[in-house]
Amino acid sequence: MDDVVVVSRNVRMGEFACCSAPGDVLLTIGLGSCIGLVLLDQRTTVAGLAHIVLPGPRVSSTREPGKFADYAVPALIAQAVGIGANRSSLEAVLVGGASMFAFNAPGLSSMDVGQRNAEVVRAELEQARIPVREASTGGTKGRTVRVHVADRTVMVKEAGGPELELWTGRPVSARPRRGVPA
Amino acid sequence: MRTEYSSTQLDALREIANIGSGSASTALSGVLGRPVDISVPNALALPLADAVDAAGPADAEVTAVVIPIGGDLDGLVLMLFGIEDAQRLCELLGVDAGTEIGLSALSEIGNILGTSYVNSLAAMTGLELEPAPPQTVTDMLAAVVATVLSASAGEEDLALLLDSNMHVEGEACSLTFMFVPGPAGVDEVLGRLGLAE
Repeated sequence: MDDVVVVSRNVRMGEFACCSAPGDVLLTIGLGSCIGLVLLDQRTTVAGLAHIVLPGPRVSSTREPGKFADYAVPALIAQAVGIGANRSSLEAVLVGGASMFAFNAPGLSSMDVGQRNAEVVRAELEQARIPVREASTGGTKGRTVRVHVADRTVMVKEAGGPELELWTGRPVSARPRRGVPA
Repeated sequence: MRTEYSSTQLDALREIANIGSGSASTALSGVLGRPVDISVPNALALPLADAVDAAGPADAEVTAVVIPIGGDLDGLVLMLFGIEDAQRLCELLGVDAGTEIGLSALSEIGNILGTSYVNSLAAMTGLELEPAPPQTVTDMLAAVVATVLSASAGEEDLALLLDSNMHVEGEACSLTFMFVPGPAGVDEVLGRLGLAE
């Protein structure tokens, strides 16, 4: 794999991105109450990552709608499909939604932001009929997530801990083909 | 939703931060029995992701003490110590870093500084403020700042960060002090200064 160029795409607060090249790595550092939504396609090497900040509904005058789950989830799906993913074979992994502090944002109910973000993202995914395969959410620690597009692996690192594999999708090329011995 | 701050407004906010952090550094100096230097504060009005970047390296491990400001102002003050700074500060206080006592000592320092800053803010603006008890965490810098900004300014396109650095003279011990007013808080403060739009 020496000739594969590794391109790391850093996804910051309120941003989202999709990649499909073998050397691509999608990365977001420091998910506290925010949710990192990973989308992977079972049939192509398309992957997406959104860094979602608030449940929404999004503020209509905002220049940064990607912060809000009700905008970001459909937008990430559309972007993934736009670069070649099959909508019907998309699957999701959720990271983040921690409760680092015991205070609440004005206008939100007493349920904390991290938990609420996870709930709304799950609801949006359910509406889009995209299954959640794995999640590392809740708790009190910040997380970093790295998505290796080629082998469809989701790595998660908690503050102060090692980087661990949270989930890996079945490699597209490893699907058994008819007539070939296993 | 505020889309910009004029330089007059930022200057005024910087001056408030200057007085507030001066008060906090005097308090710290009193606790440690040593001089504490402070830098000229920054007044940054940035989109949230840029504000997180401006705080420093995203994966740097920091100890953060957060004090929500209650009463007439929405917002919070936040103190950030790097690992070595936290250790040195604990040593100066005569406690072991990385222990519960150490964390408690840092929390108490945060409380003293934060309360001093908030009281100074109240005196300058005539607002009635009630700082809440401190909350202390050790985590990645980006996670701390992003979570704090989401809670106070998540729905705004611009986050306002007033930050200053404090340095214990002659020691390898610095800390960053941030005042993060919520959107209503900014309007309130600027209004009191006669600078609201």
